[in-house]
Amino acid sequence: MHTVRSLRRAAVVAAMLVALGSIAADAHAIVVSSQPAANGVVHGKTVELVVRFNSRIDPVRSRLLLVRADGSSITLELGDTPSPDTLAATVGELAPGAYRLRWQVLATDGHITRGDIPFTVAP
Amino acid sequence: MALLLDIFGFLSVVLRGLVLTTQSLMIGGVVFLGLIVGPVAGKLGAVGTAALARGRRLLFWSALTLACAELVFVVLECVVLAATVDIPLGLAFGAAFARFGLIAAAAAAAATFVARGELTRTRVYILFALALAVLAAQLATSHAAAQVDSRAALLVADFLHMGAAAAWVGGIPYFLLVLYRTHDGRAHGLVGRRFSLLLVWTVAVLVAAGLVMAVDYIGSIEAVYGTAYGVMVATKVVLLIGLLFFGAMNNRIIERMTRDPGVPVLRVRRFAEVEVAIGFTVLFAAASLTSQPPAVDLLTDRASVADIAERLAPRLPHITSPDRDQLALSELQARINAAAATNAPRPQAYVPGEGMLPPRNAADIAWSEYNHNLAGLLVLAIGLLALIDRTGKAPWARNWPLLFLLLGGFLWIKADPEVWPLGDVGFWASLRDPEVVQHRLFVLLLAGFAIFEWRVRTGRIRSPRAALVFPLITALGAALLLTHSHALSNVKEQLLMEISHVPVALAGMTAGAARWLELRLDAPGSRIAGWVWPPAFMLVGVMLLFYREA
Repeated sequence: MHTVRSLRRAAVVAAMLVALGSIAADAHAIVVSSQPAANGVVHGKTVELVVRFNSRIDPVRSRLLLVRADGSSITLELGDTPSPDTLAATVGELAPGAYRLRWQVLATDGHITRGDIPFTVAP
Repeated sequence: MALLLDIFGFLSVVLRGLVLTTQSLMIGGVVFLGLIVGPVAGKLGAVGTAALARGRRLLFWSALTLACAELVFVVLECVVLAATVDIPLGLAFGAAFARFGLIAAAAAAAATFVARGELTRTRVYILFALALAVLAAQLATSHAAAQVDSRAALLVADFLHMGAAAAWVGGIPYFLLVLYRTHDGRAHGLVGRRFSLLLVWTVAVLVAAGLVMAVDYIGSIEAVYGTAYGVMVATKVVLLIGLLFFGAMNNRIIERMTRDPGVPVLRVRRFAEVEVAIGFTVLFAAASLTSQPPAVDLLTDRASVADIAERLAPRLPHITSPDRDQLALSELQARINAAAATNAPRPQAYVPGEGMLPPRNAADIAWSEYNHNLAGLLVLAIGLLALIDRTGKAPWARNWPLLFLLLGGFLWIKADPEVWPLGDVGFWASLRDPEVVQHRLFVLLLAGFAIFEWRVRTGRIRSPRAALVFPLITALGAALLLTHSHALSNVKEQLLMEISHVPVALAGMTAGAARWLELRLDAPGSRIAGWVWPPAFMLVGVMLLFYREA
């Protein structure tokens, strides 16, 4: 019985130590395409923003933020999307300049990821 | 909250690993006790009684740990989700991952109650239902469930893959519990034969389902070596071959055992022990795989054959340390800048709390290469001395473990130049960085190993158990290296670095397994294993000696 107990204890310690060693730098949900594209230029005051991911997204628990050059931001109201892997929003009255579309999504597999898509609004 | 966000990415993978491991132990236990031992328990006599009693205890603890790990995981994710998206905590708990996580936790908790009583037929049915519930809940939050296309086929494949892996890897510890401290060759042969038959089926299902997923998630040969996801899957295949090798060896012995109950069971035990180590490493590799985007989705930043060949081509090692305050080496920096300039702009993705990582400069790379190269020199010397010691003609060579203390001290100081003792970040503050924590843990493992093994080699410790510290720590270190990834802003650079770590980890795993078998097996297996591990160590040394990051 002592051997069994030792084995069990060793297994738990081993599992914990290996667990401590695990780390991932990447995350699951990544942007497959976006409109505007990263570092893209759009024209006009009203801009349609569409971001498509590589997995299904939970839209109720995901956000799109528009970050201005001065660092101020507004949370965008998400519109209807054609596919469960896509987030979309429309934003109007945009002054020319540099912006970042900051996204944070919850994929249906439970991974939380976020990132920025920089773009420019031209007059 | 800031600290929680800092370590969130790290903690979530740790918890996923723990969930996957304990889930496999629970499902493997239900399958083993319900299908392998249960139906023939009456024919097994004392072995059957012992197997069921010990198995139920292991099943209880596995299910309890799974329930706790799932709960902690759900709470952690919900707190981070609520804080970062700015939604009420209640809404976060309504997310699919939280609901299914809580279902898995409840099923595991229920299994602890069922496993406490005698395993009647009703209890076995209930345990199977609970194991299925855990597997289904896990599946609902898998890559497959999050897919838009080919969802049904991937869900079926993933269900079969996870179930087969759990029945195989999770069942082996229960098989070992049958073999320990019982001496009935006929009973061992009967259980072993039933388990082997099950494994033939589980391996077939595991491989077939894995192939379906590989085709969909990887998509091309280029993605196998060109993405971190592909490389990790390839590593899992190599480990699987190792598992199959030991499984086949055991199968042969069990076949003989069924014909002749007098065949010693020792080798089956030892090979199964090695299978447990490899199997659990595969599970943690699988857990770290879930946080990688599938290769097929990563269309930019892939490594080409030329990139990999260029990186692995031998070059003279660094044998002098770069100055910490030194600025970037101009020529190399220019090459890096030029390479960076050709990269197409792309959106960055990162987990909350990870932050945007600064690009590494040439001085960082030179620093890291020097660390690896010098460590390689020491490991090569260790392997060589161990080989000389193995000949039995040079008693002084038995002091080789002391070189590990030198290696540990070197890594403690040099591995993370930005933190104590070299850098400005204090010791405790540095532990917020998961990579620093891993390096510190690695050094502690080394120091522990060095002292133990030196005392064993010089006869200061005579307990045979103390000698097992070496193979355990070596295998742990290798597994740690396999699941460890370097957080870099450049995805391709990160992949190239991981490609060079994988063979080191596999050679380390070989060394650990061989030394374990040298100590635990009988002749001639122990003799053969004794000649395998020192060269495996030397191979690790050579790979580190020529290790490059640019």
